[in-house]
Amino acid sequence: MIPVRAYWRLLRHYLRPLRTRVITLWVLLLTGIAFQVVNPQLIRSFIDRALDGSEPSELLGLAAAFILLAVGHQALNVAATYFAEHVGWTATNEMRADLAEHLLDLDMSFHKGTSPGELIERIDGDVTTLSNFFSKFVVHVAGNLVLLVAVIALLWREHPWVGIGMTGFAVVAMVAMIGMQAVAIPWWKAVRGKRAEFFGFLGEQLGGTEDIRANGAVPYMMHRFTEVHREWLPLEVRGRFGFAVMWGTSIGVYVFGLAMVFWLGSALLSDQAITIGSVYLVFHYTDMLRHPVEQIRTQMEDLQKAGAGIERVQELFAARTRLPEDGHRSLPTGALDIAIESLDFNYLDDDSDGEIVLEGLDIEIAAGRVLGLLGRTGSGKSTLARLLTRLYDPTVGEIRIGGIALPDVERDDRRARIGMVTQEVQLFRASMRDNLTFFDESIADDRIWAVLDDLGVRDWVRTLDAGLDTMLESGSGGLSAGQAQLLAFARIFLRDPGLVILDEASSRLDPATEVLIERAVDRLLEGRTGVIIAHRLATVERADDILILEDGRAVEHGDRASLAADDSSRFSGLLRTGMEELLA
Amino acid sequence: MTDRPVPTARLGKGLVTFRKGRYLANVAIWATMWVMPVIPALITRAFFDRITGEATTGFTVATLVAVMVAYGFARITIMVFGMWNDIHLVFRVSTLLRRNMLERIFELPGAQSMKESPGEAISRFRDDVDEIQESFAWSIDMLGLFTFSAVAAWVLVGIDGEFTFYVFAPMVAVVWIAAAARRRIKRYREAAREATGRITEAIGEMFGSAQSVKVAGAERPMIAHFRRLNEERRTVMVRDRVLTSALESLFWNTISIGTGIILIVTAGAMSSGEFTVGEFAVFVYFLGFVTDAVFFLGLFIARYQQAAVSFRRMIELMGDGDPLRLVEPKALHLSGPLPEPDVIPPHFAPLQRLDIDDLTFHYPGSEAGIDEVSFSVPSGSFTVITGRIGAGKTTLLRSILGLVKTDDGTVSWNGEVVADPAAFFIPPRSAYTPQVPRLFSMTLLQNLLMGRRDQEEQILEAIDAAVLSTDVEDMAEGLSTMVGPMGVRLSGGQIQRSATARMFVRRPDLLVFDDVSSALDVETERLLWEQLFRDRAGVTSLVVSHRRPALQRADQIIVMDGGRVAAIGTLDELMATSPEFMAMWEGEPS
Repeated sequence: MIPVRAYWRLLRHYLRPLRTRVITLWVLLLTGIAFQVVNPQLIRSFIDRALDGSEPSELLGLAAAFILLAVGHQALNVAATYFAEHVGWTATNEMRADLAEHLLDLDMSFHKGTSPGELIERIDGDVTTLSNFFSKFVVHVAGNLVLLVAVIALLWREHPWVGIGMTGFAVVAMVAMIGMQAVAIPWWKAVRGKRAEFFGFLGEQLGGTEDIRANGAVPYMMHRFTEVHREWLPLEVRGRFGFAVMWGTSIGVYVFGLAMVFWLGSALLSDQAITIGSVYLVFHYTDMLRHPVEQIRTQMEDLQKAGAGIERVQELFAARTRLPEDGHRSLPTGALDIAIESLDFNYLDDDSDGEIVLEGLDIEIAAGRVLGLLGRTGSGKSTLARLLTRLYDPTVGEIRIGGIALPDVERDDRRARIGMVTQEVQLFRASMRDNLTFFDESIADDRIWAVLDDLGVRDWVRTLDAGLDTMLESGSGGLSAGQAQLLAFARIFLRDPGLVILDEASSRLDPATEVLIERAVDRLLEGRTGVIIAHRLATVERADDILILEDGRAVEHGDRASLAADDSSRFSGLLRTGMEELLA
Repeated sequence: MTDRPVPTARLGKGLVTFRKGRYLANVAIWATMWVMPVIPALITRAFFDRITGEATTGFTVATLVAVMVAYGFARITIMVFGMWNDIHLVFRVSTLLRRNMLERIFELPGAQSMKESPGEAISRFRDDVDEIQESFAWSIDMLGLFTFSAVAAWVLVGIDGEFTFYVFAPMVAVVWIAAAARRRIKRYREAAREATGRITEAIGEMFGSAQSVKVAGAERPMIAHFRRLNEERRTVMVRDRVLTSALESLFWNTISIGTGIILIVTAGAMSSGEFTVGEFAVFVYFLGFVTDAVFFLGLFIARYQQAAVSFRRMIELMGDGDPLRLVEPKALHLSGPLPEPDVIPPHFAPLQRLDIDDLTFHYPGSEAGIDEVSFSVPSGSFTVITGRIGAGKTTLLRSILGLVKTDDGTVSWNGEVVADPAAFFIPPRSAYTPQVPRLFSMTLLQNLLMGRRDQEEQILEAIDAAVLSTDVEDMAEGLSTMVGPMGVRLSGGQIQRSATARMFVRRPDLLVFDDVSSALDVETERLLWEQLFRDRAGVTSLVVSHRRPALQRADQIIVMDGGRVAAIGTLDELMATSPEFMAMWEGEPS
């Protein structure tokens, strides 16, 4: 179970900025609790008077007061709902954003291990269970405790034995309920975990309908759907049993309380220690105790759900990045040189067996030069690109850009000055503008148009229904892969990097579009350092230097022209096979 | 947004009758739970009668205590059983909804199955299903409560018909208020659901492209955007909840005023002797239950509107078609033996000729697409579709395979028009590798087989043919390696070749590749085509490519331009006749 301190810290952290609203809410809720005490009193005195045969005018007055109080109570409820929802959503929104920010800052090994569908459930679903915890929990529990204490004090006044009995009753009730709650939290956590797993599965299915459909895998995927649900059902049943236990405890407590009143009342009455009137009062108060106990139970039930949510949220908050961002230095302006020193790398996560992906790399690239990176699939090219953009840190050795070790560079500066076009282009279901700027509202339309002009796609974007406001679809839907790639270029162009990494940048373009892009790339590389990763020789024709990787090792590195001229070099060998293919 | 009428009542009926036995048991149990509190009230009365000496016969205090304890046990037992039955029931109902939605999405043309992004769709699988589950549970309480208030009404009429009428009068007002607020309830709920959809979508996209976001250094703007969406949702959510709360209060106020009036009227009747004290006590006691029932009725009407919104959102996800399919009963197999997934039976019409005639398709609301495309693919041939960016190559493949819903034209298999291409073009007739193939979070072997039960040799042969053997050998756990979004990272080329192996394992007559070369280097691609021609000579291939190794091997090349066929022919013919093709050929360096 989570220590109370942790709950408290959370509350303080997220409610502090909402202080006034929280206090207003508390006042409203406490007044509501007071109303609950007064209202039955009013009905009772009405009944008493009616039976006594009081004046109709007096009765009318009481009835009017009853109606007025009821209406007031309801108005109070609406106001309290407004403030509670406001506080609840504001606090959980803050938490969602904090959590999303924290997770987005984690290194790629985290992101490779979780599916977006699962994160939807964890960031949105789990956090939503905390809404009530933030808005009402404390005041409800506290208010009802006050009520409980007041009623018990009244009972003490009647007779010490009644006081002792009822105090014991209240204590037993609370202890039983809180104990049961501790039992049920892990059950709820298991349910939430399964839910998240299912939505992770679902997200993949929904994103891969084309693959599933065209390869006849629908029955299999439905089979897996059933498998997940078969595992899910028993967890739900057990989770529900947790609720049943809580409710059962509450019923037991109620019955136990009444039985005690009957027994105590009749015993004390026969001893003539109390009057019949007192017995009735004790009975009435015991019945009244039900309400706060029931309220506290409901809150505890909610805390069960919230507790499971908090635990799961805290697990995520506890995840630490392997790439702490504590650099404060800025990269020099202009083109950036690269120095890679005795670098080894492996992906060191649960799935990998610690196999070395890159080994013993020692490479220097002068500022303004363009490096063509060659190698077969899986030779480590993409990994090297990820290291240059610091999606990962080297296992051994270091990378210095512009003379500064990469981890020492301030994050925003690094991201602004090192640009990369990845193999996969991810689009958001948002406007063209937001897709280009990643929702950065500070980028002016003029700049976007200028970049699109540079890329030669200005006319294409202009012909879209709403220009920059055109909504794009998620994934790559709505655009051809080539068009998506063009947008990815524009994203990079919008910044002013000193180092540009093109990972398979032009692989999916048809030749005509490729010509367009190559012109733009030429412009982009002007006055910048470039690393171009390609399987095809044509793409590296503009390179000044060539680096060939094989199984994670640099097998050849040098000036392109001299390598091409040297018949014994691998590069010239590759050129020849390329030429042969051309002639075949 | 289409405003198709949603048959909420019929959908609800479908869910209620899905597990009739459990539903009826649930109604009986919860009705009992509602009525049961009468017992302690009676016990209490007996107790006071006893100690005040009004009743000298009957139960002793000890017996009453024992009865009370027995009541407690009975109530707990019934409650636990009710909870058990309830969760089994509602979980099945939710599973049915999710199952029917997913099944339907798989039936729709694969490449345009949803207008929604996966993240947005997830909110419909989650929040809307939860909403229906909740409303469904309410319907059970409603029935229980109504059974009970019918009994109460009968008792009350026995006492005084006129006063009973006053008791039920607020019901009219409550129903009227709920009906008047219907549109607003619906509108607010729709806005709230849509806002939630945008949140889930944003999370899905943000983390689905974590690498791009990181490389672009866009974490802060992305989070700022996420915060804005959160704010928008808060506004509409608070509005939705406050409306519900205001309605609740209005209902209570209506009832309270009614109760106040009844108190005054009955008090008058009592002082004039029309009403005995005992009758008054019973009247007041049952009044509480009836007001509860009236209150819940009001809430249920509001809830019904909200359920309608959720139903509509779920139906929307399922595309056109009969909305009642959402609640169509299915065997869920949640317990008992789990049948193995169906294996697709072999077909008995091997491909001799595939004819495409006047095939036309445009993406809805867009100029992009293909127009009147016609060509034939003879059995065993290698056909390459080529063209510039946006020429319609991928769209053409999708149109042939039924992955989009074509506007016009036909596809014929051995001269017979294929009526439902989406259901027809699956293994063992054809298999397909999209331009950006997806693998799923399971082992590589499961990804290749996806439910098939092939012999090991056949699997290894397919892996070899897809030039994937070396990669598999290098993986620590070989074919048992977890891949997909939650598994080890495969390179773009490895994913392409895994998808190709997945296609080969299925041994289809027709292989369809969309730009398989995009993530492969020259040598790997050459090897792939070489092995294809050596080992799968009889197989028909339909390939999108602009690479020379593919074009040189082609039996025919279809040149696409602006969604239309610009030219058809062999490499030599096209070099002589098609300027469009020549320009591309020259542009392609190797």
